[in-house]
Amino acid sequence: MEKVGAVMIVGAGIGGSQAALDLADSGYKVYLIESTTSIGGVMAQLDKTFPTNDCAMCIVSPKLVETGRHQNIDLSINCRILDVSGEAGNFTIKVLKKTLYINPDICTGCGVCGRECPVEAIDLFNEGLAKYAATSVKYPQAVPLVYAINRDYCVGCGICLAVCKAKAVEYEREDEEVDINVGAIILAPGFDEYIPKAANLYGYGKYKNVVTSIEFERILSASGPYAGRVLRPSDGDIPEKVAFLQCIGSRDYSGNGQPYCSSVCCMYTAKEAVIAHEHMHQIKPTIFSMDIRAYGKDFDKYIIRAQEEYGVQYIRSRISSIKEVPETKDLRIRYETEDGKVMEEDFHMVVLAVGLNPPNDAKYLAEKFGVELNEFGFAKTDKFNPVQTSKPGIYACGAFSSPKDIPDTVTQASAAAGCVNQLLYEKRGTLITEKTLPPEIFVNGQPPRIGVFICHCGINIGGFVDVPEVTRYAGTLPNVVLTDRNLYTCSADTQTIIKDKIKEYHLNRVIVASCTPRTHEPLFQETIREAGLNRYLFQMANIRDQCSWVHMNEPEKATEKAKDLVRMAVNKAREIEPIERIRLPVTPKALVVGGGISGMVAALNFASQEYETFLVEKQEELGGFARNIYHTLEGGNVQELLADLINKVKSNKSIHTYTDAEIENIDGYIGNFKTSIIHGKNKERVEFDHGVVIVATGAKEYQPKEYLFGQNENVILQSEFEKMINSTDKLKNKKSIVMIQCVGSRNEEHPYCSKMCCAEAIKNALLTKEKNPDLEITVLFRDIRTYGFKEKYYRKAREAGVIFLRYDEDNPPKIVSEDSILKVEVSTPRKEIININSDLLVLSAGIYSDREENEELAKMLKVPLNDDNFFLEAHVKLRPVDFATEGVFVAGLAHCPKTIEDSISQANAAVSRACTILSKEEIEAEGKTAMIIPERCIGCGMCIENCAYNAIELIDDRRFGRIAQINQALCKGCGACSGNCRCAAIDVLGFTGEQVFAMITGRC
Amino acid sequence: MTTQTKQEESLNDEWEPKILAFLCNWCSYAGADLAGVSRIQYPPTIRVVRVPCSGRVSPYFIIKSLMDGWDGVVVSGCHPGDCHYLTGNLVARRRFAILKELLEFFGIEPGRVNFMWASAAEGERFANLIKKATKIVKKLGPNKKFEKKW
Amino acid sequence: MVIIMGIETENSEIENSMRETARSLLKEKKVDVIIGYTNGTVPLSSAPIMITKEEEVEKLIWNNLCYVNLAKYLVPRIPQLIDPEKGDLKVGIVSKGCVGRALIHLSVENQINLENIKMIGIPCNGIINRKRIEKEVGEKEILEVFAFGNDIVVKGKDFEQEFSFEEYINELCKVCKVKSPPVLEELAEICIGECQEISSIGDNFEDLVEFESKTTEEKWDYIKDTLETCTRCYACREACPMCYCNLCFVDQNKPIWFEKTTEISEIIAFHLVRAMHLAGRCVACGACSSVCPMGIDLNLITRKLEKIVKERFNFTSGIDSKKMPPMMDFSMDDAEEFMLEED
Repeated sequence: MEKVGAVMIVGAGIGGSQAALDLADSGYKVYLIESTTSIGGVMAQLDKTFPTNDCAMCIVSPKLVETGRHQNIDLSINCRILDVSGEAGNFTIKVLKKTLYINPDICTGCGVCGRECPVEAIDLFNEGLAKYAATSVKYPQAVPLVYAINRDYCVGCGICLAVCKAKAVEYEREDEEVDINVGAIILAPGFDEYIPKAANLYGYGKYKNVVTSIEFERILSASGPYAGRVLRPSDGDIPEKVAFLQCIGSRDYSGNGQPYCSSVCCMYTAKEAVIAHEHMHQIKPTIFSMDIRAYGKDFDKYIIRAQEEYGVQYIRSRISSIKEVPETKDLRIRYETEDGKVMEEDFHMVVLAVGLNPPNDAKYLAEKFGVELNEFGFAKTDKFNPVQTSKPGIYACGAFSSPKDIPDTVTQASAAAGCVNQLLYEKRGTLITEKTLPPEIFVNGQPPRIGVFICHCGINIGGFVDVPEVTRYAGTLPNVVLTDRNLYTCSADTQTIIKDKIKEYHLNRVIVASCTPRTHEPLFQETIREAGLNRYLFQMANIRDQCSWVHMNEPEKATEKAKDLVRMAVNKAREIEPIERIRLPVTPKALVVGGGISGMVAALNFASQEYETFLVEKQEELGGFARNIYHTLEGGNVQELLADLINKVKSNKSIHTYTDAEIENIDGYIGNFKTSIIHGKNKERVEFDHGVVIVATGAKEYQPKEYLFGQNENVILQSEFEKMINSTDKLKNKKSIVMIQCVGSRNEEHPYCSKMCCAEAIKNALLTKEKNPDLEITVLFRDIRTYGFKEKYYRKAREAGVIFLRYDEDNPPKIVSEDSILKVEVSTPRKEIININSDLLVLSAGIYSDREENEELAKMLKVPLNDDNFFLEAHVKLRPVDFATEGVFVAGLAHCPKTIEDSISQANAAVSRACTILSKEEIEAEGKTAMIIPERCIGCGMCIENCAYNAIELIDDRRFGRIAQINQALCKGCGACSGNCRCAAIDVLGFTGEQVFAMITGRC
Repeated sequence: MTTQTKQEESLNDEWEPKILAFLCNWCSYAGADLAGVSRIQYPPTIRVVRVPCSGRVSPYFIIKSLMDGWDGVVVSGCHPGDCHYLTGNLVARRRFAILKELLEFFGIEPGRVNFMWASAAEGERFANLIKKATKIVKKLGPNKKFEKKW
Repeated sequence: MVIIMGIETENSEIENSMRETARSLLKEKKVDVIIGYTNGTVPLSSAPIMITKEEEVEKLIWNNLCYVNLAKYLVPRIPQLIDPEKGDLKVGIVSKGCVGRALIHLSVENQINLENIKMIGIPCNGIINRKRIEKEVGEKEILEVFAFGNDIVVKGKDFEQEFSFEEYINELCKVCKVKSPPVLEELAEICIGECQEISSIGDNFEDLVEFESKTTEEKWDYIKDTLETCTRCYACREACPMCYCNLCFVDQNKPIWFEKTTEISEIIAFHLVRAMHLAGRCVACGACSSVCPMGIDLNLITRKLEKIVKERFNFTSGIDSKKMPPMMDFSMDDAEEFMLEED
């Protein structure tokens, strides 16, 4: 069967959207299928995100807008999958597009219907805490902004039909069935949260002041039911004492919940506690948890800050009961402390940190797509490649394959896209349509001829602002040669009018006074471009969102303001000039730094798409960290994988491997790098050009100074122990083994969790027990962090008789060596001292990163390191494999400690991100960039320090001497440089000094 | 109270200041949009100039606005850490801190120039801060210090 | 017995050792040129001089009228001083504390390469406030000025007036903590003569307390009255070692942000913007005020700048070539008490 250059993505949460953007930017047609009525998924419901406390809406909404209007993405909402046929490379999917009863092509999202609807219906987005109308969008920033009628609540009164001036309401509109032909499928349906059963142990549904964490998230949100104030549902009081209960529905063997760990609750609970306290300082959060699983990058620091700066109290306990105090509606919690005391305490509010379940339609989807589910009901994926489902050509990402947080979801989304690239790369560009546009009309230097189009937006503007008066006023302004007013300026027919008027009146600047440019500017820019005008010869005046809607009771003043806004837009329009986007050629080759698993996976992915790849490894052999690992906890054979990868890399003609190699210099920028390396015994120098860089330099195993390591031969590391189990019979005569966790992790020197050591210890313990069941194994730990499905093995180990004892950081185990025996003394949280005589002490040594080594590369690439010397990505939530410096990506341990599977995911993700560049012959830089006015620049270098993107450098200009130069390919146009420049030697296109000056001044 | 001051008082009540507001595209402009979508009402005193980032706002913009007769200036950006351009607002914050202190030192009412953070999700906060800025500027009265003599 | 060394003796000692240092620098060909001070053409002034020969060192002087900041003569950038391909110019420069600070700060701003500089450090004992003396003398023509004991003697045709040196130096010099140029750890060899090691400067800005306690309106009146006489001659800018833009903002068009009139609002805007530009950069030399023909004291403003950057960003300009000036840097933890918050 012929392969098809299109991809279907099922589920348009943050994962689905990311995969869609990656693929659409790499030349594939993307069909994005969403079951609800808007995209964004759970992330759009969140208030803040950990560990940065970033505003979720701020960071996700630009991405959603981009997804919604991408030329190569076909977005369908309110859909259901009916049937799937075909195989990898060519699938056909029958999709049911359920009717919204509102024509999405005509609906402008103005919202009049929703406000006029007399029937109150439940708003899913605010988790039942606020009321919305039967005709509604899910939330104000929804993408796409299309209303839908909820027929379950609709009484058919006909009001919306009457008030809709766009005539978009169609009660008779029917469902539609379509067949979609694609080459690959990505499943990203997300998860459904665990809903505690009514009248259960926690009183959810029975006691008003017991809420789930997702409900609490909406309470925290500024756009939530209480507008960001933290109030309790029973009486709207501020709850001073809030208890957070962890592991609700997770790590639960009672049959009520799920046996696995939901991976994200520890962190989101800490975040909710911190934000609650931040919103209302009276709030004192208490968190009840078994282990604190802060295993991700910078997570432990967040937990420490939560405790030290926000006064969040942690109690290690699973509570035994919760009862409502009837008079106060407070909640009485009974629990046992770690040292065995039974306590009872009253709280004003209780938040249940509910776990993540597989999506409710997981079985349905699995059946339709023919993919297997695992024992927990999540998508079953490959041992080493966590996005590969049981069926070739179908990939899974995000929480559908296991509970995970946003960065892991985004990484996997890109990883899935990376795998699709491997499958379909030959068909890239075959199904996308390039619009043919007329040549641009030359307008430079001509007197401005401005056309102003003013929108009534139904009654949204026209009902409050005197639109005819504003139109009249606009006509009086200098250089305005045409004014027009429209019922909906954004409707399809008005676009034709605008194009006609441009021709008729020879307009060379166009202004639309309507809603917000954030959603509508691209549409109008497209329109004027189709009429032959440069798309930057456009201005918008926001007279709806920032005028008519916020001054509804003062029509005269609103009209006056609208006039001012139009005048300011006209003033600016007079000063605007066409902007030409710079195009840069791309060298379709890649440099991968580091030949461990991540580096090799990345190189092989590039090579399989026929991109020439340079793989540079410092050591004499490929393999990196994984050379010391035999198996994964889940039983994957690492040595086999490694041998296979090395073999493939060596035999691939597109990969140039350099071992024993050192990077001498990297020059250039996105699409156009030039690197020189020195390699081999003879120190040979090689130079090559490439378009992208992947940093996969790995990390090192900590060599302990503590616990007699290096002094006593019976004190060894987990890696040595694993080797011992796998290749010798030395275990036979051992009687007692003690393992110590967190050696060189979570301490002052390395304040982070090394993530893998808990799994390592449990893996080795289980293996040892298998070979020698009588051997006594004791694991001394601080928290057992077997997140996700790894929890299963933790339980298995306990069932196999492995003893787990907790110790505190301040009171580590003491070791005394006596003859061939190692005496281990542990003080437990119950304040007991336990002595163990062991004949082998195994240390779970952490992972660390070398500052000096990384710094050198970081400087060459102009990318940052974090405090722990790991490479710091562009954005910890939404750009986990990108750097702020474009064209450079990170994968594997260089980024932070992680498992082999995660490293492989990240490597594929980095390749996918890189393919958005390599797949193009040339890349187009942002038009609105900063530019230097060379005769003014004095070369002081302040702008260089102010630039977050390393887009500025000092050059020696023949005419002007040493001055700053902006690399248009790297500049994002923020203008931080410009705002600080004393000489006013930097301007920002689209926001030039002259344009702003014109807006400030020139009042009549 | 004399009749004259009473008259002035009532005049002052009706007088609405005109405030020029520089809003960053990604957070504050979006927050202002959200205030609109949520129909949160605030005084019709501001006129918005959309800028890519609070980092773009040069002291020239602010000082020129005062000289040109605007009664007040508001600059609003993303909260620290949320900046769409990573650190543009942090660069701006230093500049604003210095400018704000200098304005006061020069005897220009510091309340005329207000800096604030508002995120894309904070429609209500945006409206509240605009209300507050309006109240402050209203209390100061029309901006006369930069009035031209000739 | 305590020997009170008069200002006169102090100056001549400084002068002698400075000349010796200059002589040996030229002799050993360690520098191509020396920039220093010489006598002015009118009384109560001094002038800059460049010398290239040993025998010229006698022209170099030091007295309390050496108000010019000599670092000014290295900006705009001299290519031979910074670019090895353009030649190799070595400059010796007579450096009181604030000249040293200016040089260090200019190197941070990529304007000079300190490796090509020799600072001939001198322990400045203060610069006389010319304007104050002129004011006291009034209409009478000054013909001669010299130090005698601890006094400054001003002589005219038929008058002679004595001014206490301690009293009549610039307010700025009274609070100065950097009398001689700072030594840089990494470039210790560039500073010869009198230099001092400085890690940070303790300053309580007591001299600002009185002004700062005024109400905003009182401040406005004071500033307005002070600046009203400004004729926009830009002497302050021309004397300032930190004002080295190719095209000053007031001279720019497209757009014309500020008009070139002596309308008070335009004057205030000019000084306000200039102050913004000097934040974290002003090295407190006071040259701007010393050269002002209208006798406007701009040091009040520059002191405030010093205070702002010290208190907010713990920064003192020109004492450390490694620390980023506040406007070149930023931090998540900067204070933001001035931001508007909800009630």
